[in-house]
Amino acid sequence: MTVRTLIQILVLISTLTMLSAQEPEIVIRPPITGVTRLAVADFQSKAVATAETDSALKVFNDVLWKDLDFSAFFEMKSKSFYPNKPIRVPLDVNFEDWQSSVVNADFLVFGNVQLVGNSAVVESYLYDVKTKQQVLGKRFTAASTTLIRNVAHNFADEIVFQLSAGTSRGVARTQIAFSSQKGGAKEIQIVDYDGANPRTITANGGLNKFPEWSPDNSRLAFVTRLPNSSRWEIWVQEVTGGRAVLSTPSSYASSPAISPDGRRVALSSRSQEATDSDIYLANVDGGGMRNLTNHQGIDTSPCWSPTGQQIAFISDRSGGPQVWVMDADGSNVRRLVLEGGHCDSPDWSPDGRLVAYSWQAPTQWKHDVYVVEVATGKIFQLTVGGASNESPHWSPDGRHIVFQSTRSGSKQIFIMNADGKNVRQITAYGINESPAWSGYSKREQ
Amino acid sequence: MKRVFTALMVLAVFSALMVLSGCKKNPPPVRPTLPPPTTSTPTPTPTGGPAPTIEIQASPSTVERGGQATLAWKTQNATSVVIDGGVGNVSESGSVVITPRDSSTFTAIAKGPGGEAQASTRVTVVSPKEVGGVTSTDIDNLMKAIEDGRVKDVFFAYDKSELSSESRTQLEQNAKWLRQYPGAAVVIEGHCDERGTEEYNLALGDRRAQATKEYLVQLGVTAEQMESISLGEERPFAPGQDEAAYSQNRRAHFTVKR
Repeated sequence: MTVRTLIQILVLISTLTMLSAQEPEIVIRPPITGVTRLAVADFQSKAVATAETDSALKVFNDVLWKDLDFSAFFEMKSKSFYPNKPIRVPLDVNFEDWQSSVVNADFLVFGNVQLVGNSAVVESYLYDVKTKQQVLGKRFTAASTTLIRNVAHNFADEIVFQLSAGTSRGVARTQIAFSSQKGGAKEIQIVDYDGANPRTITANGGLNKFPEWSPDNSRLAFVTRLPNSSRWEIWVQEVTGGRAVLSTPSSYASSPAISPDGRRVALSSRSQEATDSDIYLANVDGGGMRNLTNHQGIDTSPCWSPTGQQIAFISDRSGGPQVWVMDADGSNVRRLVLEGGHCDSPDWSPDGRLVAYSWQAPTQWKHDVYVVEVATGKIFQLTVGGASNESPHWSPDGRHIVFQSTRSGSKQIFIMNADGKNVRQITAYGINESPAWSGYSKREQ
Repeated sequence: MKRVFTALMVLAVFSALMVLSGCKKNPPPVRPTLPPPTTSTPTPTPTGGPAPTIEIQASPSTVERGGQATLAWKTQNATSVVIDGGVGNVSESGSVVITPRDSSTFTAIAKGPGGEAQASTRVTVVSPKEVGGVTSTDIDNLMKAIEDGRVKDVFFAYDKSELSSESRTQLEQNAKWLRQYPGAAVVIEGHCDERGTEEYNLALGDRRAQATKEYLVQLGVTAEQMESISLGEERPFAPGQDEAAYSQNRRAHFTVKR
């Protein structure tokens, strides 16, 4: 074989590779690539540093960096290449240092923190390195130093909003709800998106499962079986405490989902006469309960399209549990995912294009997170490895997904980019499952 | 030259493999370049480490039938804890209130990066003291029938809720005793093994309990005497990740409603 023949083979192979690469992948919009090169200098103490300032700065710098890194909008420039000189205020910046090939940043974040009594005042800046122009200059006050995380989250979201030209409001101030094992009970908990600041929503000692947020974040819907009860109930609970219990037709009720207009709840239940479950629809106060499906086979796990016009759900009417779609009045039922195996936990992306779900391939005992493009039925795998990855749920900006995984041993909650990269563990203790990412609360809208 | 040739061939074969896998239409499309997600886990599972320890206690250790006892446990260096006898997966330390049907030994297994440890405790169940020569009621009789195995649980195949002929034979026995003690209501719990998803298993457990209840209605037991609830994969009877455990966990379980 001559070198020439070899070259011909290689050219042929490259051509084929290019042809196969033209097959469009599912595209996450805006694309998840770090196109903007961001340098984030450590914030400094404005006055002479004390132990309190140092510990507040440590938290602030850590949280801000992690928020910006996880946003998946930026190529984060490593701190080890930054100039040594600390930056407190704009006058401290030598822009040439940050443009140099060593750092090569497009934008620079810096600022200072000052403790005044119990409160912390943070001056924060975002500068365009090339034009030397200020993009953001904000002064935040945290009523106590323990709230300095929130200031970092707040500023991170502002930077994301600015540098994404308004395509994302960021996720740094969002929350995640999940079901957490407490002894023999499972209780609903919420945490900040990064796992910090855990709060208890239920403490009834029963089994509380499958939480879903109302679109304004004021309420959580979930299913509850109180201790020793022989009945599952749908609870719609205010995050601040009060709740409505929806009256369901039998002892079985599961997986409630509040509609995007906040007025209705889709759920799985069973009539007294039926042998298995159907999808039901009720008003959020429990009135007007009626079934949308009436079919032999299990129907469960409903989720709403972002317009509220359609509902995706799980049905095993064709054999194994699969992802199906119908109009919100129960008409026009069709199968969305055409593979075998077992699917569950569908969740519609905020832009309406994709549905995330878990899939267990035939003959396998592990689950993985997939997305299906609604218009084409094309599927795309997001998680790999030996562990089970289940219960995906989109972030409100559609750029991230939260899911549960057994990869660290017991079931824990993880977040990742919507392309499956940049996985982070946000719970570490006990057993935690069925996560739901909050929307944007009214305050942030 | 030979070395260059070999290198080019290796490259050619590799590229051909890439093309083949890239063109393959069969789902799922796995991107071969994706690193295993474990590498991005911020708190990687440590290998080795101190061995876990576990202690478990029952209080009181003797209860009257139908009475409650509390199991309390604590561990060190454990990442997961399972207690058998229907308690299931639990947190590293905690307590749970149980109502044992009869005398039972509860074994807790703690697993951690450093290995495995187990501890057991026993709860003895005694018959309630007869007060003033009270005669046994339907409830007591049905409890006795469950205890001595006249009324038994029935089992299911993976992902199925159909009753096997063996299950039907057992349910005919169960029906006989349920009809005999109409004053005692039963709760039929539907259970699943852990392999399905949480949502699907809750619905599947319900279908198992319903199939069981319906057959008992056909056999003349009144629907009012029976309640049913699915517990999905929440309360496994046997710990473990093998068919021996799974087959124990796919069942319709009979308890007396109190």
